[in-house]
Amino acid sequence: MSDLVKTIADVEFGAELPAFQPDTSLDNVKRFGKHVGWDSPRFTDHEAARKEGFPAALVPGVMSQGFLGAMIHRWAPAAEIVEIDTVFRAPVLVDQPHSVVGVVTDVDEDTGTAEIDITITNAAQETRVFGTAKVRLPTG
Amino acid sequence: MLRSSEDFARPLVLNKRAFKANIAVCDGNLQPGSSLDDDILALREEYLGREFDEITFAIDGRRFSEYARACGEQDPRFTDAAHPDFQAPPTYVSTLIGGRSRPDGFPQLSGVGMDAGKGVQWMAPIRDGATLTGKSHLHDIYVKTGRSGRMIFLVARMELYDEHGTHVANADTRTVIRERPSE
Repeated sequence: MSDLVKTIADVEFGAELPAFQPDTSLDNVKRFGKHVGWDSPRFTDHEAARKEGFPAALVPGVMSQGFLGAMIHRWAPAAEIVEIDTVFRAPVLVDQPHSVVGVVTDVDEDTGTAEIDITITNAAQETRVFGTAKVRLPTG
Repeated sequence: MLRSSEDFARPLVLNKRAFKANIAVCDGNLQPGSSLDDDILALREEYLGREFDEITFAIDGRRFSEYARACGEQDPRFTDAAHPDFQAPPTYVSTLIGGRSRPDGFPQLSGVGMDAGKGVQWMAPIRDGATLTGKSHLHDIYVKTGRSGRMIFLVARMELYDEHGTHVANADTRTVIRERPSE
């Protein structure tokens, strides 16, 4: 499969999407908080998060879900995400390296749709967020 | 407002994660042959599908383009207001928060509540300057039971409509409440 997916014919069952390292820096999370919301100290201040019992500041769940969507669009810019379900299994910590990985689990060339399992893992390869997406791509 | 019975008469479809977790319910429908505790059945009977919140959102392209950039989107249709197809990323609707999260009279469940996940169904592009109306109802209530007790899952669904009444998206919020052991 080529790096850039343009149509459903480019999608192969079982193919792995190119891994994506999301920006989990405190600066980026603060920027997200300023413009979008989720700017409480548990997201923007490591010390405040520790006082709440967390190991460090947390990446907001809605931002983690956005990472999953961005990964799909980086892989297939023409893709329309028609469904995405995201399970927050464990916190994504700010300033910690994470990877977003995905694999194609179903392809329907007739309808131009594919299903993808997507996971955010930390440096210890522990799953933090898991998602399933259904995308629609041009058929020709 | 009660939703029509047709909304809950869809064919049963196994959700693979729910099936693996051996839970009794998926997508608002009981699995054949499954059972639920009486209190959960009563909550489902009384509250599922009952609209409890309506709120209006003015969609701001600057806000959703900042969301897109922070999440790592590179496609200019999500980040550049000058792009002819400028629109919000599909997951953006998860950032739209309703005025209330439970129907009137919904009981206070004893336990610690956590955000367990988000789901989006996307139907049409959401553009800068649009006015959306979000109508919320409880879409599902189910339980998982383990050695430490029950975890009750509440799925609140916000249906989003544009100013022409077109249904553009659903945004689901899944909350899990880990029950405190009884004294």
